[in-house]
Amino acid sequence: MLELSRLKNRIAVAQAKSGGKRHGALAALEYARQNWTLFLLALPGLLLIFMFSYAPMFGVVIAFEDYSPRTMFASPFVGLRNFATLFDSSIVGRLIANTLLLNFMFIIATTFFSVLVAILLNEVRSTVFKRVSQSVMFLPFFMGWTIVAMVLFGLIDYDVGTINALITKIGLDRIILTDKPEIWPFVLTLIRVWKGTGSGCIIYLAVLISVDPQLHEAAAMDGAGRWGRIRYISLPALVPVIILLVLLDIGRIFYGDFGMIYAVIGNQANLYSTTDVIDTYILRALQSNSNYGFSAAVGLSQSIMGFICVFGANWLVKKYSERRGEDYRLF
Amino acid sequence: MIEKKSLGNIIFHTINYIFLGLFALFCILPFWIMLVASFTDDMALRQNGYLPWISQFSAAAYKWVFAGQEIQIGYEVTIFVTTVGTLGSLIAMSGLAYVMSLKRLKFRNAIAFYVFIPMIFTPGIVPWFIVTRNIWGLKDVIWALIFPMMIQSFWVFVLRNFFSALPQEIIESAYIDGASDATIFYSIILPLSKPVLATVGLFMAVAYWNDWFLGVMLLDFANFRPLSVLILKMVNNAQAILTAMKQPGVTIRADTLPTLSIRMATAVITIGPIILVYPFVQRYFVQGLTLGAIKG
Repeated sequence: MLELSRLKNRIAVAQAKSGGKRHGALAALEYARQNWTLFLLALPGLLLIFMFSYAPMFGVVIAFEDYSPRTMFASPFVGLRNFATLFDSSIVGRLIANTLLLNFMFIIATTFFSVLVAILLNEVRSTVFKRVSQSVMFLPFFMGWTIVAMVLFGLIDYDVGTINALITKIGLDRIILTDKPEIWPFVLTLIRVWKGTGSGCIIYLAVLISVDPQLHEAAAMDGAGRWGRIRYISLPALVPVIILLVLLDIGRIFYGDFGMIYAVIGNQANLYSTTDVIDTYILRALQSNSNYGFSAAVGLSQSIMGFICVFGANWLVKKYSERRGEDYRLF
Repeated sequence: MIEKKSLGNIIFHTINYIFLGLFALFCILPFWIMLVASFTDDMALRQNGYLPWISQFSAAAYKWVFAGQEIQIGYEVTIFVTTVGTLGSLIAMSGLAYVMSLKRLKFRNAIAFYVFIPMIFTPGIVPWFIVTRNIWGLKDVIWALIFPMMIQSFWVFVLRNFFSALPQEIIESAYIDGASDATIFYSIILPLSKPVLATVGLFMAVAYWNDWFLGVMLLDFANFRPLSVLILKMVNNAQAILTAMKQPGVTIRADTLPTLSIRMATAVITIGPIILVYPFVQRYFVQGLTLGAIKG
């Protein structure tokens, strides 16, 4: 403590000597000179964020231009024409509907299975079984989406797929999944559950482990069965976390993880009607070099809707946690 | 808690174990199919399909994979990008986070705001694509796979929160002893932060290892591709051939297809290194996922 007050003294004296009385640019320069190593530490990060997050923000001007690769950002200004085309075209409605529907299905299914598996794992008494099964469920987390796509292809392929190979062994007809766009939202949801449950249940499991075991014992003493304890102790402990995580997911509903859809669906155009989302559409447009201005307008609309959703979700989280006397917020 | 050995309990536990066991099986099944197929003879695969057991053993696929130039280069590219990317990302992010954690700095809140904005607003892929390729010139070079994803605002905040929670007295006493900011950061802060650095580093490493987006977007005519992009290409080719075969009058000779076992062998060698380190780093992953839900 003595040391600390001596330090404060020293700093005060130094400030009085060097920069204390100076003003404006000189003081700023002095401040920079004193902290230049810190500035160097932060510089690479600041620079990279500028390059890949801020610089592209100026690039949104092309959403208002008739873009051509030769003139780039100085292409002729066309006002809101790209947006007018956007709201006229039938494709945008479909893209938005698919994005929202798929993400909605993903959120519900992954949350349900993560909570279910967490509760069931929490009831398991054998530590070995618990550890092994948890590790195994976590494995899909490491598999990149491109490998997932390759293995999926190996499972459902018409000629060599595992499912068809086994089905024909017991004498049934082969099934063709790639011809049925209507079932693909469910296939994608299943993949999502497969990949996300092991990692998703960890946070819920952490909450369940922190519940005081005496609560369970007291409840059992009072005659509560297993279902009673899950219903009145485990679930209420999970509800706040579930609500917070779901709200945060809803905040990101316009973005989602399009990596999966792009890798799994690829160029199978017959499946686009139910699986094409905003991001995959833009990505294909970029690769075929077509209509950058229009794609940028689609992307900007997505960003704005996403921005509104993030703020809405944050507002809801804040309201909800204030009522519980806690302070959870995204920002 | 001690349970009674009632009939209800026994039934519950049996059903519980069966359900969780089946779910674990469902999670591991694709890995099993992949591994089995990579060790099965290609002709046998063509006849019988991808069965969950080895019908005829053969390691030919691996010989082919390791002899192939493209995949060898892909492996080197992926390893280089993952190591350099993860290290660079840790250095850049922790430096930034440390400056944001210093309470004596006037501009730390301004920096925090600057880091935070990209989390809630992104301008979309198209402007990013044009700026990255044409202004920064990141096209057909290896750095194109590294720089664009080096800073993740979310992890910067996780690091900042960890640094802020370190005992400030240590920093102050080092300051009194005359240590410079860089010395304090490299010889005091970083060694104290091993757990959080390991956690963030692992998530970044997995992200770099599996990333295909940068490879697809920023490599046009380069003579190298990361593994993930090579795999994506194989899947797309197979899909295209399937679509073509459904057209009447089109015949494709079977031996021009990328062989079935080679595809799976490539997948196995791609996922192998990460699966192998997993048991050693499991606790850091658990830590990271729990951190991820409680933001600062």
